[in-house]
Amino acid sequence: MRRIALALLLVAWVAPAAAGPAPQPLLIYGAADLAFALKEIVPLFEKAAGARVAVVLGSTGTLAKQIENGAPADVFFAADERFVDDLRARGIVIAESRTLYAQGRIVLATSVKTGVSVTGLGDLARSEIRRVAIANPAHAPYGRAARQALEAAGLWERLRPKLVYGENIRHALQFVETGAVEAGLVAQSIADVPGIRAVPIDPALHQALNQYAVVVKRSARPELGLAFIHFLIGPEGRPIMRRYGFRLPGEF
Amino acid sequence: MDLYPVWLSFQVATTATGLTLLAGLPLAWVLARRRFAGHDLLESAVMLPLVLPPTVLGYYLLLLIGSRGPVGRALGALGIELAFTWRAAVLAACVGSIALLVKAAQAGFESVDQRLEQAARTLGRSEWNIFWSVTLPLAWRAVVAGTTLAFARALGDFGITLMVAGSIPGMTQTMPLAIYDRVQANQMHDANVLALIAVVSVTALLMGLGRLARVRF
Repeated sequence: MRRIALALLLVAWVAPAAAGPAPQPLLIYGAADLAFALKEIVPLFEKAAGARVAVVLGSTGTLAKQIENGAPADVFFAADERFVDDLRARGIVIAESRTLYAQGRIVLATSVKTGVSVTGLGDLARSEIRRVAIANPAHAPYGRAARQALEAAGLWERLRPKLVYGENIRHALQFVETGAVEAGLVAQSIADVPGIRAVPIDPALHQALNQYAVVVKRSARPELGLAFIHFLIGPEGRPIMRRYGFRLPGEF
Repeated sequence: MDLYPVWLSFQVATTATGLTLLAGLPLAWVLARRRFAGHDLLESAVMLPLVLPPTVLGYYLLLLIGSRGPVGRALGALGIELAFTWRAAVLAACVGSIALLVKAAQAGFESVDQRLEQAARTLGRSEWNIFWSVTLPLAWRAVVAGTTLAFARALGDFGITLMVAGSIPGMTQTMPLAIYDRVQANQMHDANVLALIAVVSVTALLMGLGRLARVRF
């Protein structure tokens, strides 16, 4: 009986590997600012290309680290170019596939729930704003842009005690949405949701968020991955990306 | 809504608990019945996964089994992929939970009267046979308690799994990771349903196991 149980356990462990590669979906690792845009673009691409697509969202730095360590991503949509170039230098991605696909903007978001209203970065210093959420500047490009904007506005040191770091930009927005913090600096592309008021921030205050996509070398279907990148900046993807506030290549 | 994370979590936790038993019971027995140089060191090392932050554990595990790590490269040469697959989630669950089983089982084995084992020895039984027919049946409850704890811990692991298996929907996104993901996306309904399933199923399972252990002895 015990031996049978043991044998079954071993089979359960090995069987999925022995069964051979199941038809895996095209795996896209995308920066969290793409959450809404990808949700609309992926089904269109699936229909057009007749392929299944799965999306993993996270901060650009976290995803890059995972890809570097062998995560099964086919395509990587970063929120900047630094992490992509880093992967390229390490020979982990296909250099020729590197494509500029969008430029992102940050906005100042407040929750309707908390009743706090702001018109600019300067308002963040006010006392009724107790906490301000940004994405972690160490590995999230939108967090880095937020930090640069606050530094340029001369507010960084003063606001530091108020700052709450989200693991990625979606996480930072979630702090605002739940009313856990009064305000946040988040990506424009995810801020157009019920209950959130967004005020644009002068893009001159931070380095441009030039977002690059790249196909990962270990991908079994690099052509399909490249096709997805082109689809996103092509006639089908473009209007959707634009609707979420991205500036597209050739438009900035 | 997608309930795959629930199924995956139970599959991962069950496999992990099986493997934890395979590795943990001999370890607990050695710690309880043998004295050797490094005994105390080993005993402390077993506790490390409980003490270290899960993300730290996960990070070092990833350095080992990642595509550039020594174990990852060796397995890769054999065509086996571990990091960022469901097997990595199993490994994460094992690492996180083995201490709970070992400590409980060790205490159970230590509480078994060694004279009974010696009596079996005088009757010519092998050590292997003594373990299965004397020690384990007498320490049964402690082993069940440890196994239950280990299973619960395996089911709930977040930090180690996130680091070594990622959070790939439909592949490695277990229940705890899925709940975290839904909360981040502000899909509170899905998060609540998953959390409710987690709480109800685990409570039912633990109650069932508890009853089973009591009825049998």
